[in-house]
Amino acid sequence: MMTTILLLIFLSFCIGTGVWIFFLYAVKRGEFDDIEGAKFRMLEDDDDPPQTAEKNRSQNENLPS
Amino acid sequence: MASDPARICSHCGLPISPSNLVTEELDGAQVPFCCHGCRGAWLIIRDAGLSQFYGRNDYQSGTLKNAYDSQFDPAYLGSFVVTTPEGAEISLIIDGIRCSSCVWLIEKFLLQQEGVLSARVNYATHRLLLRFAPQVTNAEQLCNKVAELGYLPRPYSQSELRTSIERERKSMILRFGTAVFLSMQLMGFSIALYAGYFKGIDDQTRFLLQVLAALVTTPVLFYSGYPFFRGAWFALRNLTPNMDLLVALGSFTAYAYSLFALISGREVFFDTAAMIITLILAGRLFENSARHRATSGLDRLLQLTPVLASRLTDEGSVQVDSCSLEIGDRIQVAAGDRLPIDGKVLAGESEVDESAASGEAVPVLRRTGDSVMAGTQNINGVLVVEVTAKANESFIARIAQMVEASQAQKAPIQALADRVSAIFIPVVMLIALATFFYWGANQTALLHAISVLVVSCPCALGLATPTAVMVATGRAAEEGVLFRGGDCLENASRVDRLAFDKTGTLTAGRPEVVDCRATDSETALLTVAASLEAGSRHPLAQGVMAEVQRRQLSYTPLPEVQQVAGRGLVSGDGQLLGGSRLLLEEHGIQVPVQESANLISEVHFARHGEYLGTIFLQDRPRTEAPEAMAQLRKAGYVSSLLSGDQAAAAERLAEELGIENWSAPLIPQEKTAAIAELNTNGHQVMMIGDGINDAPALSAAHSSCSLVGSSDIALEQAEVLLSRPNLLLLPWALKLSKRTMTLIRQNLFWAFSYNLVAIPLAASGKLLPVYGAAAMALSSIGVLLNSLRLRRVPAP
Repeated sequence: MMTTILLLIFLSFCIGTGVWIFFLYAVKRGEFDDIEGAKFRMLEDDDDPPQTAEKNRSQNENLPS
Repeated sequence: MASDPARICSHCGLPISPSNLVTEELDGAQVPFCCHGCRGAWLIIRDAGLSQFYGRNDYQSGTLKNAYDSQFDPAYLGSFVVTTPEGAEISLIIDGIRCSSCVWLIEKFLLQQEGVLSARVNYATHRLLLRFAPQVTNAEQLCNKVAELGYLPRPYSQSELRTSIERERKSMILRFGTAVFLSMQLMGFSIALYAGYFKGIDDQTRFLLQVLAALVTTPVLFYSGYPFFRGAWFALRNLTPNMDLLVALGSFTAYAYSLFALISGREVFFDTAAMIITLILAGRLFENSARHRATSGLDRLLQLTPVLASRLTDEGSVQVDSCSLEIGDRIQVAAGDRLPIDGKVLAGESEVDESAASGEAVPVLRRTGDSVMAGTQNINGVLVVEVTAKANESFIARIAQMVEASQAQKAPIQALADRVSAIFIPVVMLIALATFFYWGANQTALLHAISVLVVSCPCALGLATPTAVMVATGRAAEEGVLFRGGDCLENASRVDRLAFDKTGTLTAGRPEVVDCRATDSETALLTVAASLEAGSRHPLAQGVMAEVQRRQLSYTPLPEVQQVAGRGLVSGDGQLLGGSRLLLEEHGIQVPVQESANLISEVHFARHGEYLGTIFLQDRPRTEAPEAMAQLRKAGYVSSLLSGDQAAAAERLAEELGIENWSAPLIPQEKTAAIAELNTNGHQVMMIGDGINDAPALSAAHSSCSLVGSSDIALEQAEVLLSRPNLLLLPWALKLSKRTMTLIRQNLFWAFSYNLVAIPLAASGKLLPVYGAAAMALSSIGVLLNSLRLRRVPAP
């Protein structure tokens, strides 16, 4: 009985900590800075997603800095 | 005219005046545009393969402005670029974003540019964070690209204050998030403990659960609750009990008692300590987000960076920061620009709109030798100006000093909740002390005394104001009213007198046609007038054009029209004249003497040397002004008119709108004095104004209000901002502020009734902790639900 409770408590603690760390990461990434945008962005469908940014990024990595 | 599809610009959707028609061939058909800027923008969008922009259903007509003349100084922009390991980064505020399509377009378009790594526009603040590879492109090029689309990017200056506000916001979210996650863990242990309390639990398990509860509560109290403890410490040191002290006291006694109970084997209530912190942090977060929403709206309206001036040197003109100008420097001011400094005209002739500074609606002619003031707008000619005062000594700077001085005089207002706490805390402390001595000053007595402190729950008290403020400011923002914060709502609710500025506030600030007297027909006169004035930026010409559009007359604009500053307009062949009496008389045309009030502007017209007629224009009150004034009168407000314009104009308007008191002409100092006079005898004044000359009065008054389109300095001062040019919002905003304050009082009353029951029970040692906790949750929910009622305030 006691072991079960301890195990469950430990499990829930682990899950909670995981979510908490994820939350810290989200705040750091600025995920909460623009709470208005999400509702618009989810409706945007890219028929032809621009590849340029991706390309630029890879180019930039190759460039000597 | 507006219905003809060929006359609608394919890009901006505005009607095209025929002289400006620009076309572009697409699949054999002619695509019409109103200007080259629109054509340029359309081509850019099409070539980028983003034509579906025009098909987006939220693309509204008039979304985009004309393309701006690109004038980005690389050195100036360079100072805002930050180098990061991934590339260079710049923050820009984008002017001209109206809807989500704009954001979509800017992001997608920039991402297609060579060298752009990421482009992200914040929907709420319209801030663009642009990352790019400095080897491939630069900030200037990208700003030009954005400007080509028709938006104006401005570098965002990250001031110390702004950075610290943002840092605080982030740390608040972290503290709150942490508190929530730990409280959820705690909830599990607490439920088990409560179940054990009723159904029985073995001591070993109970002890384990209690220890775990203590473990998760500690960081909630000392990490998440840190701001409260810091605030409480300051409050104690200054002997001014406030909300923070109440929160710290409540949560800490609950925590300390529970630790003691843990050791001596009694019931703990760690959950109370954690809940107090978590709930009140939530309240603070609500209040902050309401404030953030209002200020981000304001940031967009304000120019955030120093004004640029083009300084004339021997080699030509250079864009410089206006603060770097020295006395004796020469600057060039293009038509349509605002003057960055005070100065004297060296060359050129132009009409200058001084309404922001003096309240005078009709522009004044300024020529060589005349002095001009910072903040006024040059309308139709190019002026070369010699700087006579440095930017920090200019007219605007002097006004700003006056504003600062009157702000310093204003005592900070203590929030209602803090005032309540100031009385509540000593009372609770006294009761706790009395309880302790009543029960004989032993261990049991100490427990009873502590339970008094614990149940004097600050939760409902802490939530009473923030929730009501958040709901009210949210509801107000929906209608276009921005309150700067809870204190502004409170100030507005106590106002009983109103002081209005005239031009731009009660009036539209632009002349409208009030009468036409033609030798032929009115329609013929207006048609001729329109063909002459279609291209002019002069307010009188725009007033005439507005009338022509209202009557839906069609006309053909003349290709070449000369402007004679201060006189009027002459057609290219010199046959058609429109302007002042002087202009016509100089061409040898007699203008019959008209009987009209001297406050009315007249524009006379003649063709082939023959007098055609006169159009009369006047700065009319806003159409909704009489209705708004009637509503305010009905609500019991006493209004006064404080105008910088001529006395006769102010008197007329006061009479027309039924305003009891008026004074004019007033200079800024006199306006401030008038406000101080109104403030006497316990009256509270709200100043409503828009001009630079209103700014000191705005900050001297108890509460202040500005309309969208006001000068920056007025917007900065205003506590309430009407973001739609509709005066009817003012009575609504005042009503809302009153309802909010009533509701906050109700909330506080609820919170108190809880205490009224709980404290005597606790003092008599009869309150079971379980019931205390339940009652606490109920009172908090009651407060929340009550606040939500504000959502149902009907629209104005």
